[in-house]
Amino acid sequence: MREMRETTTIHDIPGLACEDLDRDGALREAADELGRTSRAGFFGALAGGLAAAVALGRPSAAGAALAKGDVAILNYALILEYLQDSFYTEAERKGALSGPAARLTRVVGAVERAHVKALRGVLGKRAVARPFFNFRGVTEDQPAFVRTAVAFEDLAVAAYKGQAHLIRSPEVLAAAVGIHSVEARHAAWIRYIAGTTPAAEPFDDGKTRAQTLALVRSTRFVVGRPRTSSTRAPRFTG
Amino acid sequence: MPDRVSVRVPEIGTAVRAAVADDPTSSRERFLRRAVVAGGTLVLGGVVVAGLPRLAASAAQSAEQDAEIFNFALLLEYMQAAFYGEAVERAELTGELLEFATVVTEHERAHVEYLRDALGGDARAEPTTDFGEATADPDAFGAAAVTLEDVAVAAYNGQAGNLTKGALRAAATIISVDARHAAWIRSIVGESPAAQAVDEPLSAEAASARLDKTGFLVER
Repeated sequence: MREMRETTTIHDIPGLACEDLDRDGALREAADELGRTSRAGFFGALAGGLAAAVALGRPSAAGAALAKGDVAILNYALILEYLQDSFYTEAERKGALSGPAARLTRVVGAVERAHVKALRGVLGKRAVARPFFNFRGVTEDQPAFVRTAVAFEDLAVAAYKGQAHLIRSPEVLAAAVGIHSVEARHAAWIRYIAGTTPAAEPFDDGKTRAQTLALVRSTRFVVGRPRTSSTRAPRFTG
Repeated sequence: MPDRVSVRVPEIGTAVRAAVADDPTSSRERFLRRAVVAGGTLVLGGVVVAGLPRLAASAAQSAEQDAEIFNFALLLEYMQAAFYGEAVERAELTGELLEFATVVTEHERAHVEYLRDALGGDARAEPTTDFGEATADPDAFGAAAVTLEDVAVAAYNGQAGNLTKGALRAAATIISVDARHAAWIRSIVGESPAAQAVDEPLSAEAASARLDKTGFLVER
């Protein structure tokens, strides 16, 4: 519960801009070079991965035996997945992105939604509610979207990594490491699209929960009540 | 970043070695019985041992098991470092592939160095490899790199639950970098960078079989 309050009542904290998440400062605008992803191959494979993720939610794994610490870790992961899911889903719905970034949005959005579903399945009634988000137009502005996606994915990698050794349940750990490496793949993919190096260093550092949540707060994307997520006039395309 | 490596290495190296030294009931002997025998399979006490980490889900984590797993990881990293290093040396690749090979060579060498330092005297020897044209032909290089990186990610993930918490923490800093490499080379060659919602783990046996299938391993 503490986790939930922490992330849903932070909207008025004066914070840093999202650009501050991009600490390597090497991001550039999207480069439309990734036109070769095989969608058919992806969706075939996704079915298998989804089955694995959702299998996590089986009652046997979701039993009351889950350690208190694991529940807190899963809820923390769920908040990050809510953030990503909402971000990509909104971007896809707005339809303002094009090229490889639009393709990534569809694919990664589906994966993050699967992560949310799997985590909620494991947590059952103990799952925290989805916070309200206001992405302030970022989902409609391609350069800002790409920059923010890089920051989100790098953050997710660091966040999962920071928790892995604290997880007690072998099933939860197996799922967490499998998600962790997928987030790293997403990070490299969006970095490739952004034209920045997909793997900047030989070792990736983890982040603690406090470090991660402070960064999430600093984006000011988490708000206390629903608002329209766009700061712009509605788009008329017809 | 060599300084980052040297900071980390003593931390885990000391932990692994101290834990082995602290176990006078000869965890070391048990470890050696399961250790790699170059090029072959060793049968001891009725147990077939091929230098692979044990995989029973219930197996308790231990320093000697960490060492076995790290040695298997070292085999993977040695292969990767040799593969990319040779590709850069032969200088047949160009453009994005050359850039990828150059950056990733440094990463894989850092991983090798890290694991060797962590294992100390228990570190396995470098395998003998033969990559044929895969370090020169762009298509063969891309396909081989995708395989090596995907197998490494799946193999590490498959061992996460078998590692002690300290070793897991260290391994995790490598796993995501190999996953980034996998997505990077997949992006370059036009394959889906992230084909699944959850990366499926491979057992040590399955990962080992995948490595053998490449034909790159002349002698383990």
